[in-house]
Amino acid sequence: MDIQRLKPHFPWITLLVLVTIVGIADPSFLKPANLLSLAGDIVPLFIMALGLTFAIYIGGIDLSAQSMANMITVVASVYLAPLGIWVAGLCILAGFTLGTLSGYLTTRMYVPSFISTLAVGGICFSVAQWLSGNRALNMDATQRNETFGWMIGRTGVVPHELFIAIGLLAICLLIERRTVLGRALKAVGAGELAAAASGLNVARYKILAFAISGGLAAVAGLLFSVKLSGGAPTIANGFLLPAIVAVLVGGTPLTGGVGGVLNTAIGTLIVAVIRASMLYFGIAATQQQMVFGLVLIAAIALTIDRSKLRTVK
Amino acid sequence: MPRILTRENAIRWAPFMVLLALIVLFTAINPSFLSQRNFARIAIAAAPALMVAIGVTFIIVMGSIDLSMEGVVSLTAVLFCFLMLALGGTLASGGWIAIPVILAVGAATGLVNGFIHVKLKIPSFMASLALGFVGTGAAILLTGGDIVKFDDPTFRALLTWRILGFPLMVYVAGLCLVLAWFIQSQTRLGRYFYAVGGGEELAHASGVRVQHVRMAGFSLAGFFYAIAAILQVAKLGQAESVTGSNFMFMSITSVVVGGVALWGGIGGVWNTLVGVLIVAVINNGMVVIGLPDFLQAAVLGLLVIIAVILSTDRRAVAFVK
Repeated sequence: MDIQRLKPHFPWITLLVLVTIVGIADPSFLKPANLLSLAGDIVPLFIMALGLTFAIYIGGIDLSAQSMANMITVVASVYLAPLGIWVAGLCILAGFTLGTLSGYLTTRMYVPSFISTLAVGGICFSVAQWLSGNRALNMDATQRNETFGWMIGRTGVVPHELFIAIGLLAICLLIERRTVLGRALKAVGAGELAAAASGLNVARYKILAFAISGGLAAVAGLLFSVKLSGGAPTIANGFLLPAIVAVLVGGTPLTGGVGGVLNTAIGTLIVAVIRASMLYFGIAATQQQMVFGLVLIAAIALTIDRSKLRTVK
Repeated sequence: MPRILTRENAIRWAPFMVLLALIVLFTAINPSFLSQRNFARIAIAAAPALMVAIGVTFIIVMGSIDLSMEGVVSLTAVLFCFLMLALGGTLASGGWIAIPVILAVGAATGLVNGFIHVKLKIPSFMASLALGFVGTGAAILLTGGDIVKFDDPTFRALLTWRILGFPLMVYVAGLCLVLAWFIQSQTRLGRYFYAVGGGEELAHASGVRVQHVRMAGFSLAGFFYAIAAILQVAKLGQAESVTGSNFMFMSITSVVVGGVALWGGIGGVWNTLVGVLIVAVINNGMVVIGLPDFLQAAVLGLLVIIAVILSTDRRAVAFVK
């Protein structure tokens, strides 16, 4: 059995091993109710990672996801009162539009995606500060429950966030596996020059990938603000690192082309289990960022396709 | 007669013209902008930022990118304060030892960064981003979220002792700028940075040990981040895990706006100086003319995009990720 054939199976094997280790150390971890609430808590992060997957799948990156989610928590808190349920549309539209802007800058203006998304993130931060007046905002509790209460309730022991996550995952999986867009994105990720040479409108598909990433980051922000019943310009800080980790440990390499949204689902679960186990093994919350930083380096090193990088810059 | 209005000349002098135009603009709106006191304020804001930006200039000249500055500055600033306290809390009581030690720590973190990037063959933006997270995490871990401070009038002289109206730290930053210029233009390492940035394969073929040059570059960047950390501690009088925040966006914007091409091989520390001053003047001028400060992030974002677009020779780029 050679290692290259085993490689695609690493993510779920890692997940199983981690769950087993934590399960042996703490049997109550394996209770279905505990596992379900663990999965429910990670859903906003998962949605952001789902969006990031599209950006990374084509070999780019979206560093604006966190600022986007920050901005959306503010937008949702401010406009829930006048717009009601339509605020969801506004949020997604804003995310999609700003994602399109990142994509446009990257493809048509030749600004590398890590710079263009960083810059768009700066714009998001300004908008968030401006709309919120640099304060933490609260949603009106009754109105939140009337409008978005369905997002955060429970049916039995199953948190409703999980249904949202599974629904979005299904849509993304459909896009990835069964649509022209999905095939085109794979072609771009696997070899951009070849894709362009075979007549694909590469720029359009890349822009769309960044737009989807922005849109899903917005959904993540919306769900997060509903959960917290409020918003602030820095409330979602700390999302970006675990979201990138989730995509990469799931098996979508930084070079793109392989992996996909299902991998990200597994990657997110790995992140959730790592977080839970850190709490269990007494690693303080202050140490988590360090651990995730190191996990990120290891994950990139293991997944990246070096044959695609002629020179590593 | 050689043409003056060539694309090359326009690109070379555009940042400087922008800086002058900005100064004229802000002065026209509010004459108190053009005062010695305000210039000192701009210089104090720019000094630590210049150190970070110079560090990342070497990396960008090589065609790579370094996003670890926030973590490295926070970590070295926190370590500097702890070390200072452990050594008695004043420069005179032996605390001066902390300065070379912290500079070495900065260079060492940079070396780790370069090692991860070169030996594990991870693109530098991601390797350094991850390491930056580790650095911030380590700073949080060391401080437990608290503020570390020490009180030493001798050390604070960096901010309080003024020569010709400018505090000492501005002159220190100026000296470091000269040092950076010397490394860039008078040493073999400096020439190698340009060789690697201009064409890695060609540099390799002509005998440059590209991997070593890259690691040396990242180490040098770490060294300058540590200087920035010390100046930042002198400026704020304390350190915490967020001491380095905002430096990433600000320094990259400065370097690119100053005219250092993101593709490598073009520009240098003087461009960076102009870029840092542009950013500092904009940040200061927006406050002076009464614009709300929440606009700053958006303005920097637009600025960096415009700068990259203007500096990109579109015929030379095949595709961009």
